[in-house]
Amino acid sequence: MSLRRTAAIIRKEMLHIVRDPRNLFLVIVSPSFLLLLLVHLFSFEGGQFILAVLDQDRTNLSRSFVHSIGSDPNLSVAYWVDDYDAILPLLVGGKADTGLVIPPGFGARLQGRRTVTVQAILDGTDPFDASQASSILAAQADIFAAANAGGPAGHPAALAPLEVRTTTWYNVGMESLHSMVPALLAIVLIMPTLALTLALTREKESGTLEGLFATPVSGLEYTLGKLLTYVVMGLVSAGLALLVAVWWFKVPFRGSLLIYLLLSSTYYLACMGTAAVIASFVKSQQTAMFVVLIIFLVPSFFLSGLITPVSTASRAAALTSYSMPSTHFVEISRVVFLKGLGLAYLVRPTLALLVTGLGSLALALLFFKKKIA
Amino acid sequence: MLRRVHNLIIKEVIHFKRDWMLTLLILLVPALQLILMTRSTEQGITRQPVVILDQDHSRLSRRLVTALDNTEELWVRFQVQDPDKMRYLLDSGQAKLAVLIPAGFAQGVRDPRTSQQVQLIADGTNVVVASTIMGAASGVISHLAAQLASALGLIVPELVDFRTDIRFNPTLDYRAYSMPAQLGFITYQVALVVAALGLARERELGTLEQLMVSPLRPAELTLGKGVPAAVIGGLNFAVMWAISLTIFDVPMNGSPLLLALLTVPFLTAVVGWGLVLSAISRTQQQAILFVFVQAMVEITLSGFLVPVQSMPPLLQTLSHFVPLRHYLVIIRSIMLKGTPLSDLWPHVAALVALSLVTGLVGLRSVARRME
Repeated sequence: MSLRRTAAIIRKEMLHIVRDPRNLFLVIVSPSFLLLLLVHLFSFEGGQFILAVLDQDRTNLSRSFVHSIGSDPNLSVAYWVDDYDAILPLLVGGKADTGLVIPPGFGARLQGRRTVTVQAILDGTDPFDASQASSILAAQADIFAAANAGGPAGHPAALAPLEVRTTTWYNVGMESLHSMVPALLAIVLIMPTLALTLALTREKESGTLEGLFATPVSGLEYTLGKLLTYVVMGLVSAGLALLVAVWWFKVPFRGSLLIYLLLSSTYYLACMGTAAVIASFVKSQQTAMFVVLIIFLVPSFFLSGLITPVSTASRAAALTSYSMPSTHFVEISRVVFLKGLGLAYLVRPTLALLVTGLGSLALALLFFKKKIA
Repeated sequence: MLRRVHNLIIKEVIHFKRDWMLTLLILLVPALQLILMTRSTEQGITRQPVVILDQDHSRLSRRLVTALDNTEELWVRFQVQDPDKMRYLLDSGQAKLAVLIPAGFAQGVRDPRTSQQVQLIADGTNVVVASTIMGAASGVISHLAAQLASALGLIVPELVDFRTDIRFNPTLDYRAYSMPAQLGFITYQVALVVAALGLARERELGTLEQLMVSPLRPAELTLGKGVPAAVIGGLNFAVMWAISLTIFDVPMNGSPLLLALLTVPFLTAVVGWGLVLSAISRTQQQAILFVFVQAMVEITLSGFLVPVQSMPPLLQTLSHFVPLRHYLVIIRSIMLKGTPLSDLWPHVAALVALSLVTGLVGLRSVARRME
């Protein structure tokens, strides 16, 4: 292997990237662009729930109960029905999310300080929404009961034997932006890998690879040269995306910048090594793009722990998630950004990325040699 | 005209036969992706590791720990005595929640003059996980508090009690929720890619000029390119639909015919979008870039990851222009709730309108390309 020839390949690749504005955009700007685009969607607010109420009691107390429940900012009473059978069609049609049935004698029982049972009909289509609606309703009912019970029970808070005090570490205000931006970085930084995959297959598709074969450049020099170029350019784009995260989105960066960039290049190595293996099998850019879309991008949204945690339910599920480089980088990024911890806490994900990167690089070289022979 | 479209479609089929790798990928990988993604996400937010720092060692504190462990969401994985050890477990991510039970907890609870505090510390790096597990733990503790209070005769037990009745997905199965959405999403992705690359490839390889000198009219070229993409999307949909009903036992409460029929305008709208992207891009690379940006925007605006109601108002408005958003409502409602057409018409109308508009814009861009 000759350093001079590798440097020549790097120079050629740099020229390719810099000369074509579309390529330059894809490699350097597109991660930041996508970050700006995606992040706005992840500023979660509570869901809005629309209630359909069947009041079989029709007393002042039952009306003030509904009024009290409707005062929650996340609940709104949109339908008053007279018939139990009218509730379900509203749920089926998606016009209401929750049905509330107040039994006859609601007010009388409450005045007699006996427990009344109110029926809540929830739409279980979205499990998260259903459990959220159920806990909001329960909390509102407690507030109402406390205000209307009278007597010593009128001050349940003062007498409650047990209280909960909650704290959140690493993200004190529970800011969804602070939680999502570092994780989304793992996804948007896939773009330079896409660019490398396209560059590798384009060379085959347009026939310029054969021209390179005729030169003294070896497979190792060719692959390393390409990879190094894209890792370095990728680091530039990672730096840019980092600036967007810290300056534009004001996400706290508590760890070390050097370690972050170091681990980003390990992440690139793992992604791009895998991409190089894929590219040795794939003939057209069309197929290469499809593979990157299906293997890297789409699963990264769902399996990397971005929102739902990595599943440990079965070995196969855990293996699927942990075989993706982005799963490890989501963890690394959140730990460095929010926890501000160093390498000692990141041994497992870092090793996983290194092993994937070096292993796939070796495989890519092996396949490349075979093809020349 | 029909004969020329037919010939063009045959030409496309030959292309797919030649690039067997792409064909294999397009036909097999989506189904595989569906199986893997479902298997890996069906757990939802459950069994999250918890560390307990119990300084009381009483029967009551053990009762609390058992109650926490008995929830779906929490899993008591560590019991430590040392606050530093607790901090380490949270730092290293081995525990997502810490529960601190103070010394004198059991005695203090019986004393009506004092109130005991249980402290919860959650790892806020993932806010969705943090709020779910904090909610679960707070629920357990307030339930215990209510039991204790009524045993001590302090307050009337919950005056207003809720009997919750969950419809359509009574066990709150995460798989039944996510699978229909993934079905829609994967179908979308395949149809878009196939449609978007068709023309760009011809143009880059220079074969578009040959098509231009042939008697093909723009409408025929649009149909000839669009129909194979839609058919491939439809095939994928059928295979994945069968998989989700048979292997994964996702319920099918509504009319299968209605769902199949409504998939047609959805595919038309997606393919129309793909053809627009295809016609405006000069090279395959540009088309690929457009597809990626479009796919990311569509994933996020579709209401799959983030419910549409939780989006900022401007994005909620924009989401109406995304075919996938309407289709996800349709497929979920039909499969889980058995919703009839009469309740779905706003979404159906939106899909039909979108398919007409993208189809026409696609046709126009193809026509301009051929001039």
